Amino acid sequence: MTLTVEGLDVRYGGVHAVRDLSFTVGPGEIVGLIGPNGAGKSSTLHAIVGLAPASGSVRLGDSELLGRRPEEVARSGIALVPEGRRIFAELTVEENLRLGLAGRRGRDAPDYAGLFELFPVVHEFRSRQAGALSGGQQQQLAIARALVAEPDVLLLDEPSLGLAPSVVDVVFDALAAIKERGLAVLLVEQRAQRTVAAADRTHVLAHGALRVTLAPNEAGDTDKLVAAYLS
Amino acid sequence: MRRHLEELVVPLGLVVAAALLGTLVSISTQTYFTDTLVKVSIVVALYVFIGNSGVLSFGHISFVALGAWTAGVLTVPTSEKPAIMPNLADFLVHRHASNVMSLVIAAVVGGIAAFIVGIPLMRLSGLAAGIATFGVLEITHNLLTYEERVGPGQNAFSSVPETTGLRQAGIAAVVCIVVAFVYSRSRFGRLLRATREDDAAARAVGTSVYRQRLIAFTVSGFLAGLAGGLYVHLLPVQVNSVYLDLTFITLAMLVVGGTTSLFGAVVGALAVSALDSWLAVAENGTSLFGWHIDLPPGTAEIVVGSLMAAVLILRPSGLTGGRELRLRGVPWRGSASRARA
Amino acid sequence: MTLAILNIDWSTLADGLALGATYALMAVGIGLVFGVLRLVNFAYGQLVMAGAFALALASEWGWPVWAGIVLCFAVVLALSIAMEHLVFRPLRGHSPAVMLVATFAVAFLLQSIALLWFGALGKIAFSLAFLNRPWTISSVDIRKIAIVAIVVAIVCLALLQLLLTRTEIGLHMRAASMDFATSRMLGVRANRVISFAVLISGALAAIVAVMLTVQNSQVTPDFALRDTIVVLAGVVVGGLNRPVPATLGGFAIGFATGVLGGALPTNQSQYIPAIVFAAVILVLLVRPRGLFDFSRTVERV
Repeated sequence: MTLTVEGLDVRYGGVHAVRDLSFTVGPGEIVGLIGPNGAGKSSTLHAIVGLAPASGSVRLGDSELLGRRPEEVARSGIALVPEGRRIFAELTVEENLRLGLAGRRGRDAPDYAGLFELFPVVHEFRSRQAGALSGGQQQQLAIARALVAEPDVLLLDEPSLGLAPSVVDVVFDALAAIKERGLAVLLVEQRAQRTVAAADRTHVLAHGALRVTLAPNEAGDTDKLVAAYLS
Repeated sequence: MRRHLEELVVPLGLVVAAALLGTLVSISTQTYFTDTLVKVSIVVALYVFIGNSGVLSFGHISFVALGAWTAGVLTVPTSEKPAIMPNLADFLVHRHASNVMSLVIAAVVGGIAAFIVGIPLMRLSGLAAGIATFGVLEITHNLLTYEERVGPGQNAFSSVPETTGLRQAGIAAVVCIVVAFVYSRSRFGRLLRATREDDAAARAVGTSVYRQRLIAFTVSGFLAGLAGGLYVHLLPVQVNSVYLDLTFITLAMLVVGGTTSLFGAVVGALAVSALDSWLAVAENGTSLFGWHIDLPPGTAEIVVGSLMAAVLILRPSGLTGGRELRLRGVPWRGSASRARA
Repeated sequence: MTLAILNIDWSTLADGLALGATYALMAVGIGLVFGVLRLVNFAYGQLVMAGAFALALASEWGWPVWAGIVLCFAVVLALSIAMEHLVFRPLRGHSPAVMLVATFAVAFLLQSIALLWFGALGKIAFSLAFLNRPWTISSVDIRKIAIVAIVVAIVCLALLQLLLTRTEIGLHMRAASMDFATSRMLGVRANRVISFAVLISGALAAIVAVMLTVQNSQVTPDFALRDTIVVLAGVVVGGLNRPVPATLGGFAIGFATGVLGGALPTNQSQYIPAIVFAAVILVLLVRPRGLFDFSRTVERV
């Protein structure tokens, strides 16, 4: 199903974080969202899942998601991998995964085998406390946790933050595999060039508004990127 | 400075008006007015600390109790002491003070006690502070109940000259309001309010949170002690009358009025006390607009309790919104006029 | 057999353990609601009081014991749900201080209502008084209720532990108490988790009501008020932010109070509240996060 964002407006008190933002993410697509700090990228994701006050329209297929409570949005098939991973350090890896089941719509068992293929570390450390994992491993756990709910749309908020390059590779490889499975992926990132190269299209946000959209082959076009960031 | 004076004048005006109103009623009704004015003093004392620091204290009534005990022991005629307080310590048996002197000493005792208690406790915040100050209340209550060398123990203070009249209570309330005003306008008050609004920022500019809290706590203990001295000369005070119920009702008055302003403290005390007194009268049978009302005993607490719960749930900033009142009708954010980032 | 230092015999030890067990259950009840709502329910003792009055009424009406206990549970659970809707929900998001004073107000209010309804002397709950009599085991008298309280507490805690670790709702509750926002984002239903916590908390209050009325059959409006204050102190001292330290704190303060009460002569035991709270203050100063809190989590209050 396609995620459609139309005329999204997010305000925190006096701050206008997102202005009239519109874009879509279809199944099997990776759409990137990049931009300088404070551009409104995280606010966009928060608005989609119902954690930020917003107006406009956010639709999954035909159903309107805006205004629903976060747990309802999760149960509609949208999964967010939040900034900073937000895993439960005192629960085991397995318990963290089980928690992800809360957002599931189906009754049958999830495809654990496929998950463990993508992220072997999650299976290996399943009985360990999640807090004992490294940053990269926690990131993989966070993504696995989101996938356990078998969502239609996967949102990621800066997954490569604070990770070593080798781990970033793992993450981006996994994203490619996830895209293959037909999920719609919305990727918010700081690593501009990598994102532009990996995504089907990348929107550049600055001051809450969409400035320019880049195609993968424009990943090397730094001038255009800088101009968009500074606009 | 003119604007600031308005913050003093309005609460003072209310209190003076209440006192004057009290002179117009019968002697028996006057007791309610006097009681109200003493409560104003207590609530103002609470505001000095809680309102400015943002730290909850359940323990201030201990300073009221200590003030009451001090003033009571000093003014019970020496001849009566052996009868009422047979186990009183020797050096207390022969001490006697005049009425006003006993009030002053009561205030000083309250202040010193607050200082001593504050030295360890002012490091704490939030829930820990709440529990710790509750502990102070419990300890004081426990000690005063069983320690008959310093007072009447479980019995009520009797034979204390009933010197607290409308005028004395009114003057004391005025004194408390002036002290509270001067404190809150002072550098200390403003520094403390800065820590209430933004702890980290205040510390970053070098404010000692601990020191400011201790100062406020001591001042409020002083005022509470004074109120205690007044109290013991108004009613027969017993350990349980300066314990949980009084703690609750004075906190209720502060919260309902508006915790963060002096105006709120006074409004809360006057309004809730008026309501409580009227309900107490209604429990004995009274008439309102021609209807005879006879409420069952205990209704007063229920109404006041419901009111406090309702205000806290629906409008935690209280009747005044925690602001001081400007006479021109434009509410000024009296607590901390900081520039919005 | 006596311990020479203080006058502690087996009977006193059992009483101390029983009070510790009772307070541990109360600590869990308070802790569960705090975990999911970040709210300290000062009015928890009033739930116990309500249950105790239910037991008293049942015994006055001549109901069989089991019926009285059912009534107790029904009343306490109903009151818990009412509290959740009327007090907890509107208070969500306010500062801890406002929440504490608000629940303080509710406690006072409920106490006043009970005072109006039942009078200061309250009522007497007869039914289970037989448990207050002692068993004599090799010339040592231990009150039956002490054994019952300890056993019941252990069973309850064990069941609760199973619930929290083995069930889905238990996992959701644990997660919610660690990070509510993220839990919701994963699909955990906020209202369901909160209601569940409130119900378990209420059930524990009902159990405590039964246990306390056996030892103190005179149910007054301030029934369990002092206990709540002491338990709260124990919980904060133990470590409010984590469930195990909080429960240990409740147990410790109950045990200490119970043992001291039995061991000290009356002219000293009357000062137990002062001693206990002086210790509480001391601990708060030295280890504000709690005696038993060895974790490195950030202080939330």
